[in-house]
Amino acid sequence: MTRRRLDEVDKSIVAHLSRDARVSNGQIAGELGVTEGTVRARIKRMEEEKLIRITAVTNIDRFRDAALAYIWIEVERSDQTRGVAGALEEIDELGFVGVMLGRSDILAITMVRNTEHLAEFIHQRISVIPGVRRTESTLGVNFVKHDYRMARIVS
Amino acid sequence: MNDLAANAAPVLIELDDTDQAIIDLLREDGRMPYRAIARQLEITEATVRARVRRLEESNTMRVVAVTDIEAAGFGMLLAIGVQVENRSPEAVARELADIPEVFSVNVVVGTHDVEILVVAEDQDALDELIGGKLAGTPGVRRLTPALALDVLKNQPDWVPFHDPA
Repeated sequence: MTRRRLDEVDKSIVAHLSRDARVSNGQIAGELGVTEGTVRARIKRMEEEKLIRITAVTNIDRFRDAALAYIWIEVERSDQTRGVAGALEEIDELGFVGVMLGRSDILAITMVRNTEHLAEFIHQRISVIPGVRRTESTLGVNFVKHDYRMARIVS
Repeated sequence: MNDLAANAAPVLIELDDTDQAIIDLLREDGRMPYRAIARQLEITEATVRARVRRLEESNTMRVVAVTDIEAAGFGMLLAIGVQVENRSPEAVARELADIPEVFSVNVVVGTHDVEILVVAEDQDALDELIGGKLAGTPGVRRLTPALALDVLKNQPDWVPFHDPA
């Protein structure tokens, strides 16, 4: 569970990449006063150790009819929690799956078009998983912030 | 609608299959060279470059580094339901969004008025965050937290481009 923490040089490189990851290694090296080889090696190592992930993110504001849904899932028996979470992990539409302490057993987050779509998604994809006892959902009406520079990197 | 999008007066561009294919490749590897993208999609490098610029300038896509929260020094992740009183949930949500440890904010309908995701370095930092900053925000009535024991998946591809000043 414990991962290496970023040192100061790593953090400076990541600060550049968090604004625009298409910036060249040479440009980062020039601004930090280190060699291009250092920048290249550091980025490679951070990616290999899953400390950072360089990826495209897209703007939800482009989709007027998309809302975030928080789905809280209670399992029948506590020993089914990991199994249910594992099954949820396989569902492409879910952007977040976490085993939780408090409120309920598992939290899953997805994007839906409306309440009908949410009901259909839960009925067809979540409730059918063996061990799911009940679900409680909350629909977002305004997605105010998501700091995409930060995530739990698992794959 | 976030501030940057408002300021930049984004033009909503139509995404065709080529744009979508470029986005998909950059989601897999954000530093994939334009030449490699061009080869894979059988289009010219100049087309890839122009498409990426258009996606970025229209505020549709950004290619960024995402840091693992633990590597960044945060050992704890929580989902907190917020009940609001005597203030609009929108106003409370915007104020909570200015707190760096609060990395996701949604105004919702249901038992709670706002759902937030937060990170904390350790238990002391968490106590200060919840008991101090969050509970002390005007309009916050009750906080109902849940601690993530294990995050199996966390890949937010579609997000608001919120840029605090």
